[in-house]
Amino acid sequence: MAHGAAVAHGEHEHHPTGWKRWVYSTNHKDIGTMYIVLSMIAALVGGLMSWAIRLELAEPGIQFIHDTHFYNVLVTAHGFIMVFFVVMPAMIGGFGNWFVPLMIGAPDMAFPRMNNISFWLTAAGFILLMLSAVVGEGPGTGWTVYPPLSSIAFHPGPSVDFGILALHVAGAGSILGAINFIVTIFNMRAPGMTMHRMPLFVWSILVTAFLLLLALPVLAGALTMLLTDRNFGTHFYEVAGGGDPLLWQHLFWFFGHPEVYIIILPAFGIISQIVSTFAKKPVFGYLGMAYAMVSIGVVGFVVWAHHMFMTGIGVNARAYFTVATLIIAVPTGIKIFSWLATMWGGSIEFKAPMLYAMGFIWLFVMGGVTGVVLANGGIDTAFHDTYYVVAHFHYVMAIAAIFAMFGAWYYWIGKMTGRQYPEGLARVQFWVFFIGVNVLFFPQHFLGLAGMPRRIPDYPDVYAGWNFVSSIGAAITMAGTLLFYYVVFHTLASGRKAASNPWGEGATTLEWTVPSPAPFHTHEEMPVIAGGGHGHSHGHGMPRPAE
Amino acid sequence: MPMRDMIRRLLFSMPMVCAAVVALGIAGAAAQEGNVGEARPWQMGFQDAFSPVMQEIHQFHALLLVIITTIVVLVLALLGFIIVRFNAKRNPVPSKTSHNTLLEVVWTIVPVIVLVVIAIPSLKLLYHSGRTPQADLTLKVTGHQWYWTYNYPDQGDFSFDSIPIPEGDLKPGQPRLLAVDNPVVVPVGATVQVLVNSDDVIHSWAVPSLGLKKDATPGRTNETWFRADVPGVFYGMCSELCGVNHYFMPIEVHALPKAEFDAWVEKAKEQFATNSHSPVRLAANGSQDAAR
Amino acid sequence: MNGHERKRFATAAVLSCVAVAMLGLSLWSPTLYRLFCQATGFEGTLRTTNVPPPSGTTATEVLVRFDANVNSALPWRFHPLQREVRLRLGEEALIHYTAVNLSDKPITGMATFNVVPEKAAPYFSKLECFCFTEQTLLPGQEVSMPVVFYVDPGLAEDPTTRDVGTITLSYTFYRSENQPTPTASAAPPSSSTAGAGG
Repeated sequence: MAHGAAVAHGEHEHHPTGWKRWVYSTNHKDIGTMYIVLSMIAALVGGLMSWAIRLELAEPGIQFIHDTHFYNVLVTAHGFIMVFFVVMPAMIGGFGNWFVPLMIGAPDMAFPRMNNISFWLTAAGFILLMLSAVVGEGPGTGWTVYPPLSSIAFHPGPSVDFGILALHVAGAGSILGAINFIVTIFNMRAPGMTMHRMPLFVWSILVTAFLLLLALPVLAGALTMLLTDRNFGTHFYEVAGGGDPLLWQHLFWFFGHPEVYIIILPAFGIISQIVSTFAKKPVFGYLGMAYAMVSIGVVGFVVWAHHMFMTGIGVNARAYFTVATLIIAVPTGIKIFSWLATMWGGSIEFKAPMLYAMGFIWLFVMGGVTGVVLANGGIDTAFHDTYYVVAHFHYVMAIAAIFAMFGAWYYWIGKMTGRQYPEGLARVQFWVFFIGVNVLFFPQHFLGLAGMPRRIPDYPDVYAGWNFVSSIGAAITMAGTLLFYYVVFHTLASGRKAASNPWGEGATTLEWTVPSPAPFHTHEEMPVIAGGGHGHSHGHGMPRPAE
Repeated sequence: MPMRDMIRRLLFSMPMVCAAVVALGIAGAAAQEGNVGEARPWQMGFQDAFSPVMQEIHQFHALLLVIITTIVVLVLALLGFIIVRFNAKRNPVPSKTSHNTLLEVVWTIVPVIVLVVIAIPSLKLLYHSGRTPQADLTLKVTGHQWYWTYNYPDQGDFSFDSIPIPEGDLKPGQPRLLAVDNPVVVPVGATVQVLVNSDDVIHSWAVPSLGLKKDATPGRTNETWFRADVPGVFYGMCSELCGVNHYFMPIEVHALPKAEFDAWVEKAKEQFATNSHSPVRLAANGSQDAAR
Repeated sequence: MNGHERKRFATAAVLSCVAVAMLGLSLWSPTLYRLFCQATGFEGTLRTTNVPPPSGTTATEVLVRFDANVNSALPWRFHPLQREVRLRLGEEALIHYTAVNLSDKPITGMATFNVVPEKAAPYFSKLECFCFTEQTLLPGQEVSMPVVFYVDPGLAEDPTTRDVGTITLSYTFYRSENQPTPTASAAPPSSSTAGAGG
């Protein structure tokens, strides 16, 4: 179980002990820790699945997954697990829970008990999802669950229903978590911590929470309709009864596109903190950075049908969605250039978190420019459902998010556990992982350009070459991932003691003012944030405590 | 998955992959006489274009590739310069600059200009591929789990199924996972209106070298069009996850000169006569019936 | 009630109103969606109208083609009696589809439809059609189903649809979930021309 593997704190404070401390926890730090542990377990499961997929694709011909339905189940489960049970729990539930209250000077989240139920709903969702793969024949629908393939006629067993319930439950947990973050950030900031002084990580979580709050109910509604179509004879998506399968696609992507920003926005926040800390400079263009995230969030809701260019939507709709999607490149460009400008003139130490931040920028630019290509409805004819798309979204969202998570882990692990990670080993881990993912995903652009479709367990022999290279990359990535788990073990077992601020003058946010590991209760007395130099202080987002 | 196993597997398979690639290269060279719409081993770009739309896609992508490569190189160069110039050793005292209004305006305006440069040819391509040209011929495509049915309403309304050829039955020159028993045939130079439909789940009818891809959605007819500029064989694969055999649902298009096409039509009318009005399939293949 | 409590009460009241409004909106949404689709032609939805075509027809001609599909679960034959008609914009046209029940049991079917190109859908108005109406056919029975429609002259004025020279109207017949019970099948449609609805 998740709580069993959690990190023991050294302090002697008054708090529940044993299993009650974790199961009944209302403490934002303990809940954050549980989220991170859940994410690390789910990442192993989802990672193993991706390695099985790459192993199957290493050569043309069916290698070892002779039941091709099982291959589809792997593809589906890999997507679901990575999106809902690795990235979201780690970034929002894990680092969000841990550091939003610490950064804004709040003693805890606004609704501590709701925080507890958010976590356990997420954990229950994960268990339901695991069950969905073993009851019946497993869902082989892809994470997009398009009906009629996901309808009762083509997936008669209970597995899709389990998947739907898993997402319902995890979604409910995320909605509650989002409400918690919004209320905490709006109402529990310390005196002097104005909105425009909040660290960018807090901004990123705030925008993400709004996206969750607005997008997840749409998914829940769509899933409920699918559930009643499957079990109670309704016809929302059944053509034979007058329904429309495209309705699902519109609803799913109305949720699904904001969902990819839900995944990447917290990463933006994390990267901003890390870059500023290690460059020893305030974030460049703070307001532009904050409002770039807000505008990405807003525009993210009006671009969904660029996932549906091939479904037969009218040419005028495609033109609109092309232009709207291209517009997103402007705020994301602002973010990239502002990070570079933050580093410009800095005095940079290339420690592991900074390496991951710079790796993130490279991955995000790579995936971002292919996104600009894919945004064009005309050229998407050649790219839709090919490996080009697989390469694009792994670069821009999946691996970029993982880089931010690794960076955040190295950045904050001293604060969370009181033990610092081994720097040399961490740098080796970065390079292995960085080389691995690029060898893994870069050749997939070539495969996609040459027309290889996604979600296939076997491919025409002409695609053998780059697939083989890609699978080699998967092996290197696997080595990097396992090395990370070893670094985690090494840090917890024998990491040296971390100072309350291990990063020096660049680390100016409030979490570095409390001891390492952070005590069970922090900010019991409200810190007061000093204004600093006038007219220019608001731009820093880096408050200093008054004491 | 034990790592050692995987590495061993990958290392052992290396010679086989190389041999396969070389063999394919030779086979590909031999087959070069006709036009073949298929990828080549180690291909890094698009398949050759054999239709006007695919040619436009090629041209537009050439522009995009220049733009995106420039952006990536620019960011990479900036990162490199930062690493060399602004590391803690070389630059011990960090600057405190955190604003530059001019710079911020520039890096907002310049991307907007770049996007306009992209959007204009993009919309041109979109409207060209999305317009409804005067068709010389209508081809109806119906997706099934897991084969395609083709129907020629203007040539006597005959229909036939296009079943993928299993690996063991392939004749020399037929690519694995791409060849079918009855390819769809069109005349060279004719504008073909394609109506795409599905009988069960969502499929997608795609031929990369002709710049074609359209979802086959049940209960809804989608339209696209193409014109094969040269005689040849063009391959494609189903491009929307449709179940167990999704990977084995190929599309094979033959473009023939008009006279040969007419001869084929006469032959096909006889061969597939029993299939006339084939959208009706008396032996329903069950999945929907069984569920009710 | 002190100020604090009043504030709380107000919050609760506002939130309750929001909840009720949301519930009402969700109950009303099928109607709204239908209205929206009919008004805009979104998703290729045809416009059904009682308004006869505008009196003046234009010289511009458009080719309308007819397409028919039958789902494999329905043992019917279904096809248009004419492949295409060429008509002036604003001109009213009557065409027929025909359906035959090839099985030895009475079967109910239902048709879905759309027009391509999708952007032309708002200008395609039908005065009579059999879409989304259940049809029960006795074994071997053949019915002829009329469609009356016109293409709005606006097609030639809209810059985004000016290039449309061909419009394809496509129907797909599905086996209905409500199949005739033995008693119900005793009352077959008496006329050989089935319903005009939808």
